[in-house]
Amino acid sequence: MATVAHGHHDSHADHGHPPKLVYQPALPLSNGKLFMWLFLSTEIMFFAALIGVFIVIRFGAIVWPLTHAVHLSEPIGAINTFVLLMSSVTVVLALEHARNNNSQMAKYFLTGTFVLGSIFLGIKAYEYNAKFQHGIYPWSPRSRIYERPDVYFGSAVRARVNELLAELKAAPAGEGAEKSAEQAAADAEREKLLNDLLAEASSTKEADLALLASKIMPMPLSETHAHHGGLNEEHPWLKMPVVIPGGNMWASTYFLLTGFHAIHVIIGLIVFGILLTMTFNASNAVIIENIGLYWHFVDLVWIFLFPLLYLF
Amino acid sequence: MSHAPSTHEQHGGHEHGAHDHGGMAKYVYVFFALCFLTTLSFLTYSDYWPQSLARHEVKRMFMMAVSCTKAMLVILFFMHVKYEANWKYVLTIPASMMSIFLMLALVPDVGARVHGMFGYGGSYSPERLEYVGKQADVDAMKQATMTVIGEHGAEHEGGAHEPGSVEEGKAVQKGQAEVEKEIK
Repeated sequence: MATVAHGHHDSHADHGHPPKLVYQPALPLSNGKLFMWLFLSTEIMFFAALIGVFIVIRFGAIVWPLTHAVHLSEPIGAINTFVLLMSSVTVVLALEHARNNNSQMAKYFLTGTFVLGSIFLGIKAYEYNAKFQHGIYPWSPRSRIYERPDVYFGSAVRARVNELLAELKAAPAGEGAEKSAEQAAADAEREKLLNDLLAEASSTKEADLALLASKIMPMPLSETHAHHGGLNEEHPWLKMPVVIPGGNMWASTYFLLTGFHAIHVIIGLIVFGILLTMTFNASNAVIIENIGLYWHFVDLVWIFLFPLLYLF
Repeated sequence: MSHAPSTHEQHGGHEHGAHDHGGMAKYVYVFFALCFLTTLSFLTYSDYWPQSLARHEVKRMFMMAVSCTKAMLVILFFMHVKYEANWKYVLTIPASMMSIFLMLALVPDVGARVHGMFGYGGSYSPERLEYVGKQADVDAMKQATMTVIGEHGAEHEGGAHEPGSVEEGKAVQKGQAEVEKEIK
């Protein structure tokens, strides 16, 4: 609704003088907040698409690995949820303090948010590392997951064994001197292990290959069954291919969902880093409010991702 | 006159502040509620979950209900939507409608998959079927694992290597029973 402002000199007919219109805001919120909500709606569409695809793939898959088969730890996921919830609380308390002109407290709580977000990323990095250690990567050829204990798995094991045997034989004896007795004994043990694996992997029977796969990385028998060692864990240098039915699709969706979420967390942390250089009071508290909206949304996405990925 | 928009905003901001006076405690209460709800989602795994509701579908619906409740708490309180004016309905109602449409649109997609909800048959290509893991492979792997654990348990009878070797044996038996229950 526009109202016309009346100036002092209205007497002479001044046709070139347009009426001065004053507009009232259509919505009782600032441009920044409106923009942030519109942006969040696009982000909702983005994550709804990803989560929708995950649900289709997950419930349309023939088999899906148990959480312990892919070395997923529910308690760690719960800790991450807790960390993100706390960071949401700290950002909203920072906003309250800024509105009440407590700049120092606002800064403390913003720092808390930043630290908690970093902790979340640290825990995520730890989880990703655990996956990588077990040969679970987002894609091939890095990924060492095979769906079935079939001849393709057998030939991959043989290829890796031959690679390691070649490395053993090519290992330089430092400075031309002979290897120490311990080194030689260790090498001999490794060679024996590799030759045993080669013999087992040469079978074409799937039952034998399943046995080999279980020795390399045993499969949990149920949700509550603990994860056992296996050769890949006992000897980290082995890095043998593993058999996880449904594992490739799992890895693909897990890394996609959590990866995009982690990217959003990183962007949020960069913005919070910039906010930490500013001082906040009632006049510019709206900045914290808007960035807080984004951060709460990131938390919201994790609230849905956590049960979907860890508990389903 | 030109100050009208900013006073309006300041007025809105002041109203907001008045609304949330003493609201910091409220945020902490909401946080505790969220933590409690997170713990609840683990309830389905615990011994307290009633056996009559032991179906996967029921557990998943429960977890989704918990997630939706947590989401509503975050949206209403942390994102302040509870205290916003009527524009929030312009935002949320179409978005909710679209999310329901999305879910309905995806239902046939799930149904058309190999192991879909309605039992429709294959949209996996023959090449893919050759490589993809199947239930038979899962069973073969579980069988092989039981054999490996059995051999391992026999080798380390003293339990020196693994402190839980006796427990392992029990777990193997329990696992075997559970596997048989799952197959049924």
